[in-house]
This record gives sequence, C-alpha cells and structure tokens, in this order.
Amino acid sequence: MSDNVQLKTPKKGYRLLSGKSWMVFKEGLWHNNPIFGMMLGLCSTLAVTNLMSNALVMSLSVTIVLIVNSIIISSLRNFIPDRIRMIAYMLIISTLVIAIDMVLKIFLPDISKALGAYVALIITNCIIMGRAEAYASNNSIGISSVDALGVGLGYTFSLMIIATFRELVGFGSLFGYQVLPEPLSPMKIFSIPPGAFFTLGVFILIINTIRGHKEDDA
Amino acid sequence: MKIQKQQAMRNVLKGLTPLCLAAIYFYGWRFTAVLAVVAAAGVLSEYVLAKKYGLQMTESLFVSVLLFSLSLPPGIPLWIAALGIVFGIVFGKMVFGGFGRNIFNPAITARAFVYISFGVPMTSKFLPTLPGPDSWFPGGFAHWLSPLDSVSSATPLFTKSADLFNLAFGFIPGSFGETAAVLVVIGGLYIIIKKAANWRLTVSAIAAFLIMQTIFWLAGIRDTVDPLYALISGSFLLGAFFMITDPVSASQTTNIGRWIYGAFFGVLTVLIRVFSIWPEGITFAILLSNMFAPLLDYYLKERKKRKGASA
Repeated sequence: MSDNVQLKTPKKGYRLLSGKSWMVFKEGLWHNNPIFGMMLGLCSTLAVTNLMSNALVMSLSVTIVLIVNSIIISSLRNFIPDRIRMIAYMLIISTLVIAIDMVLKIFLPDISKALGAYVALIITNCIIMGRAEAYASNNSIGISSVDALGVGLGYTFSLMIIATFRELVGFGSLFGYQVLPEPLSPMKIFSIPPGAFFTLGVFILIINTIRGHKEDDA
Repeated sequence: MKIQKQQAMRNVLKGLTPLCLAAIYFYGWRFTAVLAVVAAAGVLSEYVLAKKYGLQMTESLFVSVLLFSLSLPPGIPLWIAALGIVFGIVFGKMVFGGFGRNIFNPAITARAFVYISFGVPMTSKFLPTLPGPDSWFPGGFAHWLSPLDSVSSATPLFTKSADLFNLAFGFIPGSFGETAAVLVVIGGLYIIIKKAANWRLTVSAIAAFLIMQTIFWLAGIRDTVDPLYALISGSFLLGAFFMITDPVSASQTTNIGRWIYGAFFGVLTVLIRVFSIWPEGITFAILLSNMFAPLLDYYLKERKKRKGASA
C-alpha cells in the first residue's frame, strides 16, 4: 500500500509527510477547504473577519480545538457507544472550548472581548462536529490529527484572506497599523457584516474559479 | 456588442433630461463630469460581465447611470461615483442574470453602497446652489462648480427650514437631481403619460406618504415637519416617480400589487425618516420594497388561483 502511494508522488523535493497524509492534509487545506469548499462555519467567518487580529485568534482557536478534539475522539472511537456519540462529542468539544475561552480571557483580554460570544460558539461550529463525525470517529489517531490540521489551516487561511481584504479596505490598516493614507476614505461597508457577505461571495467565486481550473488540468 | 433597444427606457431617459439640465443650472458643469465617469464605468462593467456570461446589454443601463448620477451630492469625488455604479451594476443586476432578473434597482443598490461606505463625503458634500437672488442667469451654465467648493451646507432635510418656493424650484442644497420638485413632477408625468411608468405606483406612494406624515405631524412625534414640506424637501418625489416605477424590481403583475407596493414604499420612507439615524429614508425604503415585491407577486398570484378554483 505505502509503496504504491510513494510511486505516485515522488516528483520533486521531499515531503515532510508520507504520501497519504499529504493527500489528506491537502484535501482539508485546499480541495475541500471548510469555507470555500464545504461552506461550513460561515457564521463565525462573517462575524469575526472585520480585523485581522480577531480573525487570527479565532481561527487558531478553532484549529487547536479541532486537532485536540480529533485526537481525543479518534483515540476513544472504539469506546464511545454509537447511539450517544453526538452527546459525547459535544461534551469533549465544550470542554476544550471552555478551556480556550479561559486562556483567551487571561492572556488576550481585548481580543477576547472583541470576539464576544463567538469563542463560546466554537462549540456549535459545524466544522469541528463535521470532522469528528466524518473522519476522527473511524480513522487512526495519526491520520485524524493530520486531517484536523489540514482543515484547521484551511479555515485559518480562508479567514485570513477575507480579514486582510476587509481590514485593508474597511479601516485602511493591517493588524492595526495604518497602511493606507488618510484621504482614501475607508469604505465603512466592509467593516460591517453586509460587507462580509459581499467579500465572502467574491472570494468563493475567485477561489472556486482557480480550483476549477486546477482540477481541469489534472 | 449590440445594445438591446427598449422604448420604455428611452422615454424614462427623456423624462430625466430636464433634471439633468437643472442639475447643470444649479450646480455647474461638474455634473457632466460625474455623469461621464459614471456612464463610462457603468458601460464598461456591464460590457465585461455581459460578454463573459453571454448576456445582452440593455438600454436600462443608461437609466441606472442617470438616476444614480442625479442622486449624488454635487461635491462627490469622481472615483466614489465610479465605484458606486460598478457595484450597482455588478451586484445589483449582473449577478442575478442581467436585466429582467434583478431583485433590486441597480441605481439604488449603487447609492446604498456609497451611502453606507462613504458616509462623510455623501452627507457633507452638499453645496449651495449657484443661481440665487443676486444672479438668476446664467447660473451654473457659466461655472464648473460652485465657487464655495469647500463650504458644505446642510440640506433642508437636516435644517428643516426653507421656504416652499425655493423647495419647489430647487434653490436649495441637495443632490444633483432631487432639488427641483416641479421638474421632477413634470418629468414624472411625462413618463407616466408615455406609459413607461405606472401611475398607480406613484399615486399610492404619495398618498401613503402624505397620510403617514400627517399622522406623525399632528401627533407631534419627534418634531416631524409638515407633510407638504416633507414631500418636496428630499428626494421622495424622485423616488416615487422614477425609482419605484422601475418595471423589473417593482411588483408589476397585478394592479392590487402596485397599490400595495407603492403604499409600502411611502409608509417605509416616513418611518425611516422619522425614527432612524438616517435623515433620508428613500434609499433603504426602496431596497426594502424591492425585497418584498416577489413575495407580494407570489401571494397575489396564489390568491387569484385559489379564488379561480373555488368559484
């Protein structure tokens, strides 16, 4: 099996991950990107991408919860009864999110305040539940964590490009540093939720166009 | 690419012509620059998208361009105007599949976009008119822009004081095309006579507006101004005659639908003017009415069907 996969991907450079893990990783990061491909977790995407710092903290929190959750669930996958698995997942996710919330409140109080309820709402983020149900519940610990890492970084990447655009156009700054000169009056609409809808829509169009062409080539 | 001919839209353009001339008379030749930039940006964005997705360009584009230009304040920076119309054409019309499929009026989509995005330039760039008691002629025809370029003045909608003659004939600060109430009515009547607009929409909008405003005025809620002043001081007439009569985004399948739609717009305008932080409510009132138009059409059609079945 592993010989087979290595034959398929020996092209150039070396790969940190073995063939299968790389494929799983790439799947989450790009081909099945949670925002642009699966269109999951859009609510938080629209809400927290007004500033890059908010988006970064939010997406890293989600990534951490995703990875730890996947490891726990995949290691417990043979012990959780099928009937109550959702409740069990919920319990594990809630525990992790509450922990993250406390950490943010202590170390990043400003951003924690800005994110408001959205940190607590990671519990209901369908990306996490989706990965737990679809992948971690019937795959080994190693590959599940790679999958979670890919999806988490895909989420981070998506949020960051949306937030970069929105902060640059809506406030004229990047990570809070003013980069656009004052006279270019910032476009307020991009700093409020309606602008997030437009931005998200246009980025989905762009990313899917790029992805579509790539798939045609392959 | 050929542009599809639309007789109704040509009549609307004719109806808007006096307003364009008035805009030049009141605020100088800069209006032509705004119009040229908006037209170029609008045509370009429609052309690119129509070509990419195999749609047809229509003459309704020029109506959108003209209405949007007329709704801007005179001191608006040109790039904001261009950005607005590109947004209006792309997100207000082309993403829905071009003319005939758009839910929202593209001109108003564009205006809402710039209104929210650029709050300061959109609300502080109103200028006093050029012709006044000192010189009635040639007015703006001899100027590029009002010499008091940097001085912005509040519109009568903010100050709530201007005499009715000035309001009716447009000697007040305001957007390019909304100030001369008399000309708006003349142009509006022209398109109604030419059947480019349906009179029911306009009549029910104005009636509902006057009734609501009178109620609030008599009740003395939040210093509401008197109905006649309110009717001609902002851009309500422009909206009632030219914007909600748009054949695509309005409820246009039944006469009952037209009455309800117009009244809905009139009532919403008053509510937004009186109770919101925005002094001028017609932009949002039109967008909200546009949103309800398909629902209204659907409901009325279903009701008709049910009536037909039971009878």
